[in-house]
Amino acid sequence: MNTAAISARGLEKRFGRSAALRGIDLEVPSGSCLAVLGPNGAGKSTLLRLVAGLARPTAGTLQVAGLAPTSRRARARIGYVGHATLLYPMLTAFENLLFAGRLYGVEEPAARAHVLLEEEGLAAVATRSVGELSSGMAQRLSIARSLVHDPSLLLLDEPFSGLDPGSADRLARRIINLRDERHTLLLVSHDLGRAAEVANAALVLAGGRVELTSSEPPDARQLAEKIAEVGA
Amino acid sequence: MNVLLAVLWKDLVTEWRGRDRAVATLLFSLLVVVIFHFSLDDGGPERIRELAPGLLWIAYVFAAVLGLNRAFSLELENDAMAGLALAPSDRGFVFLGKAAANFLILGVVQALTALVFALVFDQSWWRVAPALAGVVALGSLGICSMGTLLSAVAVRTRFREVMLPLLLLPLLIPVLSGAVQATQDLLVEGTLRFAPLQLLLVADGVYLIASYLLFDYVLDE
Repeated sequence: MNTAAISARGLEKRFGRSAALRGIDLEVPSGSCLAVLGPNGAGKSTLLRLVAGLARPTAGTLQVAGLAPTSRRARARIGYVGHATLLYPMLTAFENLLFAGRLYGVEEPAARAHVLLEEEGLAAVATRSVGELSSGMAQRLSIARSLVHDPSLLLLDEPFSGLDPGSADRLARRIINLRDERHTLLLVSHDLGRAAEVANAALVLAGGRVELTSSEPPDARQLAEKIAEVGA
Repeated sequence: MNVLLAVLWKDLVTEWRGRDRAVATLLFSLLVVVIFHFSLDDGGPERIRELAPGLLWIAYVFAAVLGLNRAFSLELENDAMAGLALAPSDRGFVFLGKAAANFLILGVVQALTALVFALVFDQSWWRVAPALAGVVALGSLGICSMGTLLSAVAVRTRFREVMLPLLLLPLLIPVLSGAVQATQDLLVEGTLRFAPLQLLLVADGVYLIASYLLFDYVLDE
């Protein structure tokens, strides 16, 4: 039985005639933090959406903990932070987490929401509607939302964007803690310094193909050189 | 069931704070009533009673389409629809929660429209009011079942404002046929025949079950 957190074989995704992913093979062990890097249009976000079960592959196989990503059991294990926050502007910060907790069948969702707001430093704005929050606060709330059901696999698409340096530091520490607690993380980022800080493996994509895989903690300078090379 | 209640709660709280959907649909249906009032100014009470079922359901259906078009637009903001798709629950319960919210919001609009209609056209419907509410509820159930499903389909298309009525209105013919006939029976004869009720119940059942089952695929990419 396949026990890898994520396993992909010949993964392809096409949008009409345009190919976003062209035959990706990937094995992500449980408890690792994989940085998915590459120039714009490399297929990074598409890969994350496939793993999240938000899109279906055109060809190839993809499994999350041995399950189809679209299955309910797999969805229960996945936390996702996308380009958009997935939040409702008319609801307060607390209500958004409460709603997410109820969607995921969390026991005592209100208590869980308060804990997450505290951890993200958002307790003071718990009763403010999301429409009134700064983009950085909304991003932190989005991250809290993704953790509401304590997922074993966390997918983060540009989580540092819109964050001030203090918030980005706090998020980096949070990711490292989650990694150390044996959560599996997939991190898409253009911030190579942050990616190198938190990840213990790296994958560089370009044109929908894998250009580099490394099971070692990545070096920011080498990654930058590689991305410049494949993006040229 | 918890997911149904969560989605229902979220939609009602959002609507209560924004009130954009209820206000827009109510204004629209009241405008329809006012326009009919001008055009039927010299109609006697008997003529109005005969025309009332058709007039009421014209206002109800177009108000419903207007409201249903907005039902999923709040899910587009911040890609919240992806948040619903990611949840590990049975997606049919997400559909039921959305449909229940649409049903309640539309119900408020329908009740106020009927009240204004009765006042403007000097109609006394108090004796048949409970039965009329039941018939309107059955009609709305069919409209909101299929309408919620198709609203989720239409919201991802380029011409979503046009797409929903194009998809929905032809499918509503059985529901509207049963609803208008039953309303006609009530307002003109003061009784209810079984045939239009049967049509309504069967159409509602088919639409509700089909929409519940198909919603899983609609939330996918």
